[in-house]
Amino acid sequence: MLKLHNLSKYFQTDEVETVALNNVNIEIAQGEFVAIMGPSGCGKSTLLNIIGMLDNPSEGQYHFMDDEVAGYSESQLAIIRKQHIGFIFQNFNLIDELTVEENIELALLYHNIPASERKQRVEKVMDKVGIAHRAKHRPGQLSGGQQQRVAVARAVVGDQAMILADEPTGNLDSAHGQEVMEMLKALNAEGTTIVMVTHSPAHADYARRTINLFDGHVVTENVRAA
Amino acid sequence: MFQHYLITAWRNIIKNGLFSGINIFGLAVGFMSCILIMLFVRDETGYDTWIKDSDRVARLHSAYTMPGRPPFLTVRSAGRMMEAIRDYASNEVESGMRLIQWGLTVQQNGEAFPEEMTMVDGSFFDVLDLPFAHGDRSSSFNKPFDLVITEKMANKYFGRTDVIGETLTLCCAAEEPTVMAITGVLKDLPQATHLNVNLLIYLQPALFANNSSVLDTWTSVNVYTYFKLKPTTTIEQLQSRINYWANNESPFVQTIANDIGAMQAGSKVTDVMQHKLMALTDLHLHARKDAGNMGDLSPMGDYKMIVMFVIVASLILLIACINFMNLATARASQRAREVGMRKVLGASRAQVAMQFLSEAVALVLISLLFSLVAVEAFLPLYNELLNRELSLQLFSDPQLLLTLLTGSIIVGIGAGLYPALFLSRFMPAHILTASKGGESRGSTTLRTALVVFQFATSIILVICTVVVYGQTLYANTIDVGYQSDNKLILNVGAANGNLQSLKQELLNLPEVSSVVFSSEAPTQDNENNRQFTLIPQSADANTSEGDAAPIQQILNYYSTDYGFFEAYKITPIAGRVFDEQYGTDKAVQQPDGDNNVGTASVILNESAVRRLGMSNPQTAIGRTLESGIFDNGMHRLHIIGVIPDIYFRSIKFDIRPSVYLLREDHFRAANISFNTNDSPALTSKIEQIWKANVPMQPIHLQFLSEMMAAQYSDDVTTAKMFSTFSLLAIIVACLGLYGLAAFTAERRTKEIGIRKVMGAQISDIVKLLIWQFSKPVLIANIIAWPIAAYAMLSWLQEFPYRLEAIWLLPICVATGLLSLLIAWATVGGNAAKVAKNKPVHALRHE
Ligand SMILES: Nc1ncnc2c1ncn2[C@@H]1O[C@H](COP(=O)(O)OP(=O)(O)OP(=O)(O)O)[C@@H](O)[C@H]1O
Ligand SMILES: [Mg+2]
Repeated sequence: MLKLHNLSKYFQTDEVETVALNNVNIEIAQGEFVAIMGPSGCGKSTLLNIIGMLDNPSEGQYHFMDDEVAGYSESQLAIIRKQHIGFIFQNFNLIDELTVEENIELALLYHNIPASERKQRVEKVMDKVGIAHRAKHRPGQLSGGQQQRVAVARAVVGDQAMILADEPTGNLDSAHGQEVMEMLKALNAEGTTIVMVTHSPAHADYARRTINLFDGHVVTENVRAA
Repeated sequence: MFQHYLITAWRNIIKNGLFSGINIFGLAVGFMSCILIMLFVRDETGYDTWIKDSDRVARLHSAYTMPGRPPFLTVRSAGRMMEAIRDYASNEVESGMRLIQWGLTVQQNGEAFPEEMTMVDGSFFDVLDLPFAHGDRSSSFNKPFDLVITEKMANKYFGRTDVIGETLTLCCAAEEPTVMAITGVLKDLPQATHLNVNLLIYLQPALFANNSSVLDTWTSVNVYTYFKLKPTTTIEQLQSRINYWANNESPFVQTIANDIGAMQAGSKVTDVMQHKLMALTDLHLHARKDAGNMGDLSPMGDYKMIVMFVIVASLILLIACINFMNLATARASQRAREVGMRKVLGASRAQVAMQFLSEAVALVLISLLFSLVAVEAFLPLYNELLNRELSLQLFSDPQLLLTLLTGSIIVGIGAGLYPALFLSRFMPAHILTASKGGESRGSTTLRTALVVFQFATSIILVICTVVVYGQTLYANTIDVGYQSDNKLILNVGAANGNLQSLKQELLNLPEVSSVVFSSEAPTQDNENNRQFTLIPQSADANTSEGDAAPIQQILNYYSTDYGFFEAYKITPIAGRVFDEQYGTDKAVQQPDGDNNVGTASVILNESAVRRLGMSNPQTAIGRTLESGIFDNGMHRLHIIGVIPDIYFRSIKFDIRPSVYLLREDHFRAANISFNTNDSPALTSKIEQIWKANVPMQPIHLQFLSEMMAAQYSDDVTTAKMFSTFSLLAIIVACLGLYGLAAFTAERRTKEIGIRKVMGAQISDIVKLLIWQFSKPVLIANIIAWPIAAYAMLSWLQEFPYRLEAIWLLPICVATGLLSLLIAWATVGGNAAKVAKNKPVHALRHE
């Protein structure tokens, strides 16, 4: 599905240059469930952002499906992004001014889908994640677990081939965290590729493969037996 | 504590460059406009207040409102009124005085200088106690032709001011030049006076013995009458005495009772004839409504215009204040954390509010400083536009300084109060825990409402500006009905006996194609009104128009020489114009004592034909009017022609029914047609001819095109002022919108980031933001159009010749589009910038 070759990312701030990713080589196949782990600041989020095309790499190649996207412009990336990738963030990133329903619908809004179909799909996915009774609420009125479920619903409603999750359980207690992981597992079982950053080894166990990052390098890759 | 407020205020002003910049600029522009307008208003409203006892002086205005005739208004009064009222109301009046303005010539060292002379009763200084530089009021007017002059005149003619005992030769109040002795020198009058006093002459009634319409009259209005009231009397009291006198004791009771038709049974003199007092200090701004079209001693102020500009200036300041409120609340999320932390650390709501208020006041004071600099910078330009000598003397004028300081503190509190209350309201937990900035729906709605208000105001101003300008342009393009190119107007009033030789010499110039005389040139106004009687057609005439009773009308008349209508390319629509070959056209005074009725020809304009009740121009030809155009005896005037209604006067006045005579003793103007592009050479040749023919008289020579342009110069000034100030209003409003867009875009960065992650493209985001700001502008248009249209339609009513109402529609639509374009341009840049950012930046923003 995607392949990173000698990929690096530098951040230039004032006088220091931070190397967030250094010659990373990763290949992820369709239908995989991959966990990314590592200490804080090692570059996990940066890696995920680049995989998700929210940011450009500084060096190296990024082959996504049939395209070499490393040099693509923001608007070219936006088109690929919206066709193939869904996101779940640690801090949910819901829009405060919109209701739960509207937040989820946002993922379909820019896809030329008729309003009636959008409504249908949103309702379906809300049932699936168990948030339908809060459809008209605003994110500020929900608990953290409920907000994360909305974020998951938003990520899956578009039926994208790949979901990127950056610490999707970071703000949740273990029970809620478990719930989200079960949702991701079920999605993966249906064929969705999932790449997830996590600090929790227990949650990493849901994945078939774990990539360990340290200081911008891939140090180990563990593949669990199926 | 206060010091802490000041320091935080200062840091915040520095830190938030965009916010402070927009507000300081907007408020400074607002203050600048207000100060400039205030200086002008102070000047306009301060007219004549510097005169001693000005609150006790009033002038008598006259209005004749006979039924069936257009009202006749003037700020002058009849010559006998002053004495009559002074003597009748001796309990109310301390003294009275008449004033006659007269353009004469001062002859000094073999040269002639035109001057406005003011003839006044000896009681002048009892009423208007002007300050003397040399001499005093008791020594001034003791013998005939005593002369009091201003320092400026003294310097002009003698090079010094101490000139009591010197003489000036004036021509010509009587037959011969008069030598007048200077008995006093007045300090130069400030600019702020309605008086136009240079040379004051002790009025000699004997001068007017042969002309009863000046002093010895109850009805002809040729003098200005002033009264000083007793300290215990009010103007209203004297006014009611005057009304009582007019209705019961005055000679008008008899004359009006005799005038059939003017009076119905039971009506009073004051129904048809009013003598109205106006306070001296009101004259400059309010005399206009009493002045008809004869004007006043000096150019009159325009109260409506003043009110209009005060409104516009206040609006600019208000728009700037709204900017402050909007930006301060829009920025709330930025500062919510700070407020929350302050509160956690023990600050009370009042203390937090106080901090925000001091920030607002500090910002406003900084703006005031900038505005003062701007006022100084723009004053020269402003003075040139207004033809004033306004100045900003802050330090010698503590009252002004105090007004400005308190004014700006009020503005600071006014603009800062809402944001202060809004920002200090936040509960700390709410701000510190929630991920959002504590923005409620309500505050967004209020902000939108304020933006709508700003834009509605600006749009109204733009529409008004365009209409005002449009009307001014339109006025310039109106077909006045005659050909005004290549015409010079020479005032020949002083050339009495020399007209024919002057004409001949002018005609000898190769550039001059024709010279014709007339009583007035186009654009010049007159009040030559006479009663004309249309003689009934004899009963046996084969026409349906035979009318039984003679029709009497008061009509205005002009005198024009042979060739006048040809020179102006005015062709008659019926009959002919004056022609020397007939030999019967000229109106000549009959010898005194001769009871013969004189005959002459007249030409009417279409309005006069209608006024005299004739159905069309053709039927008028051959009819006869009768009128006492010369004071002795009657003339029979045969109608030989009818011309179209031309705008002989300014287009600001309606076309009046007019009669054209050929009466040589009224000729005052030579209408010179020329055919050269080298007009300076021509005018200097004409000046030489004038000097040779009319020595010792200054020349008055003007291009007709310039005379026509001068009629609109006031309107042009108004239009310029109006457009400048509305432009400022729009700039300030747009700056506010820009700031708001910037802050909104910033506040919505996260939202935009999420939308982009969800697949929104740059164009989707730009559309989203632009639509957010287009809505208020569209609503503003819907509100603004009817208001502006209503205001402008009623403003246009004042013009007899005005822009078609239908023009308002395209103007409104165009302004609406323009406002949208401006809003898009203002918001679009910001929106695109934010939309282009990579979404990671937006999401990291938290
Ligand atoms: N926009 C940026 N500008 C400058 N430096 C950055 C930027 N984004 C990330 N970095 C730096 O790059 C490095 C990697 O950051 P990244 O956010 O990827 O870490 P992380 O592994 O996700 O850490 P955490 O587990 O704490 O989320 C860090 O040293 C960080 O300081
Ligand atoms: Mg991270």
